[in-house]
Amino acid sequence: MSGPRIQIWFLILLLVVCFALACPLQSRFVAWPGSRANGDVFAITLGESRKLFANEFFVKADSYYHSGFYPTIFDDNRAFKTAHMAEDTGAVNSQNHGEEESFMGPPRNWIDAFGRHFMPDRHTHLDEGGASGDLSGSEGVREILPWLKLSADLDPQNVQNYIVTAYWLRQRMHQPKTAQEVLLEGLHENPGSCDILFELGRLYAESDHDTNRAVNVWMAGLHNWRPVKGTEDEVAANNFIYEKLATQMGAEQADVGNWQAAIQWFEKAKAVSKTPDGLQQMIELLQQHHSIKPKP
Amino acid sequence: MKTILAVAGVVIKELYRRKDFYVLFIVTMLICLIMASVRIFNDDKIIRYLKELCLLLVWVSSLVIAITTTARQIPAERENRTLLPLLAKPVTRTQLLLGKFLGCWLACGIALVCFYLFFGALAASREHQWPLLNYFQAASLHWFMLGIVIAMVLLGSLVFAAPSSNSTICFVVVGGILLLGRHLDSVALTLPEPVRSVFLIIYYSIPHLEFFDVRDLIIHDWPLIHWGYYGLALIYGIGYMVVFLTGASLVFRRQSVN
Amino acid sequence: MAAILKAENLRVEFRSREAAQGTKVALRGLNLEVNAGEVFGYLGPNGAGKTTTMNVLLGFVQPTSGAASLFGIDVRQPIARQRIGYLPELTYYYKFLSAEELLRFYSTLFGLSRLEADRRIDELLKLVELEHARKRPIRTYSKGMQQRAGLAQALINNPDLLVLDEPTSGLDPLGRMKVRQIIQRLKGEGKTVFFSSHELGEVETVCDRVGIIHQGELKVVGPISEIRQPRHANLEQAFLEIIGFETQSAS
Repeated sequence: MSGPRIQIWFLILLLVVCFALACPLQSRFVAWPGSRANGDVFAITLGESRKLFANEFFVKADSYYHSGFYPTIFDDNRAFKTAHMAEDTGAVNSQNHGEEESFMGPPRNWIDAFGRHFMPDRHTHLDEGGASGDLSGSEGVREILPWLKLSADLDPQNVQNYIVTAYWLRQRMHQPKTAQEVLLEGLHENPGSCDILFELGRLYAESDHDTNRAVNVWMAGLHNWRPVKGTEDEVAANNFIYEKLATQMGAEQADVGNWQAAIQWFEKAKAVSKTPDGLQQMIELLQQHHSIKPKP
Repeated sequence: MKTILAVAGVVIKELYRRKDFYVLFIVTMLICLIMASVRIFNDDKIIRYLKELCLLLVWVSSLVIAITTTARQIPAERENRTLLPLLAKPVTRTQLLLGKFLGCWLACGIALVCFYLFFGALAASREHQWPLLNYFQAASLHWFMLGIVIAMVLLGSLVFAAPSSNSTICFVVVGGILLLGRHLDSVALTLPEPVRSVFLIIYYSIPHLEFFDVRDLIIHDWPLIHWGYYGLALIYGIGYMVVFLTGASLVFRRQSVN
Repeated sequence: MAAILKAENLRVEFRSREAAQGTKVALRGLNLEVNAGEVFGYLGPNGAGKTTTMNVLLGFVQPTSGAASLFGIDVRQPIARQRIGYLPELTYYYKFLSAEELLRFYSTLFGLSRLEADRRIDELLKLVELEHARKRPIRTYSKGMQQRAGLAQALINNPDLLVLDEPTSGLDPLGRMKVRQIIQRLKGEGKTVFFSSHELGEVETVCDRVGIIHQGELKVVGPISEIRQPRHANLEQAFLEIIGFETQSAS
């Protein structure tokens, strides 16, 4: 047999071997837990490292919330530890303290002082009109949404993305249906998430005025809540959502006149709260107004 | 001046007869148009992400055009030996350098006008407003920054023999300055001596290109930069261009042509 | 006759890239004069110092010692180059320009007016037979066409002195003949031509005087007849004798 013919046969043989190997390997690869085959484009291209990018985009959204007036890693960012766009939803435990306006500190030298004339110089929030300060333009908060969407696509397990997106869609964009879709998608990715259930309950209560449905969702959240053992911040964040759920339940019970039940929910909230004084005042107020004896 | 303008004219002709600019412009346009067609949460008024993306592409493209075009000017003249008939004319080396600088700077200016017009049209199609002065300040500061970069690359092209090494070094330096230049003094304070002093010397001697990056002005609709500071920034930019061009002229004068 | 090109005691040393080799002497006390209206052939083997001499005369290389002048002006002054035309060896002109644009660019460097430039460009394109391709980009030109475009750029300012560095190298016989015709025509117009070449036959045809350089030293200068007669040989044999080829082969 001549040389080229041997090569052709060899090539055909290799193709057959490859095809034969591909059939069993394909099913094994798809079944393998580390397989990216079933993921979206980000999962396929970036793998787990996409979560790093997700956090960057979440911070980017908060930077947009401030119209670019935002600290870098070299600035004093204690007042920006928790994204303000998330903090303002009231559904996230804030860790911020310190000055919001002067995170850059006083100018260090003439170059720094001169350079500050070329960058945003005021602390503003987009939902309050942003850099122009025009409150009629508070819908400008829409500008944070692309980055939040991107962040959620990259890290579907970060529940804050869904909460913040849904909150602003509902509050400023007047799109409760879209907000609900976002939260349900978040719930699909994070089944039983207390944070998402809390926000979903608020949506039902405040936008749909469907208190019963809201209470059911909050109850589900409370049912799913478990104490966590971890860092102080993790415990505080976990307790915070329990406090919010219990407080909402207390408020709902108070609204329908179940004073005793309301006080019980506030007591539960107080037990985990970092600021129990406010809740204690609420409890005492209810007890005074409705002559309910305090529990021994 | 006629000599400088003649040399500059050839550089400009080279830019618009090569494909680099068109490729970058078309790629920028395509990416932006694709991104503009994405509807996020059914809201077609969301614009800032698009402005940011488009401006980022404009910045990257303009830097690529400025650095690659400038880096090949003198080495290509040497390689093709066109430097010989050129300098055999009554042209001084300083005039040649100034012509090359002016040509590259004007060529980048023309490219910037095209990019900003496209960007403006894209932004205006969604925002229905065109803050001309904001655009003017952002684009002109951008152009002056490119002037500094071009002067720096021209000096680099006389120091480093290969255009590719010069381009790579200049990309790293420019990117480093834009990202870290503002914070080098803070970084220096965390370091022991003598590294601290080295960092501080670098901080005070590098051109602070970040002054010229005022994209937030048009992305986030910030009020205009005070015209006095704007003017000072332009003077600062011209100062660094003169420094780099003087350095280039001194180096070039001492070099043999072939 | 007045000398319009003058080199006095020129010495050029280059620092070698390898430290062990020290410095390399390219020219050793070169004295040379070229008179107005003559065609001067500058001969020498590869590495003899022909191109270095031209580089010094055109201000591209600073001499280590000695002086050079064109029309009585120090070659370091740009104005000394106002009345010269130069054709370097193996040059690839701006590929994105047409011959017409190339010539217009160089005419601007000499400060020619638009009208004058138009006239010169038409004349020169006709002279170098590139009229048909005047609008075509240079990248589409053959090597011979590029060399002729180079010759045209060297003549754009109607120079009194033309410096040509191996003008026929790499050209086919037809191309060489055309370049030779152009040089002869310039000679007829009374121009001074200073050119280096390896083509001794060509030199013999067009030159009034020749200079032979070897290892940085000018060995002989004079009319071709004066170089040939004492040796009873043709120019090629005389050239080989002067550069010591026979001596070397015998030893």
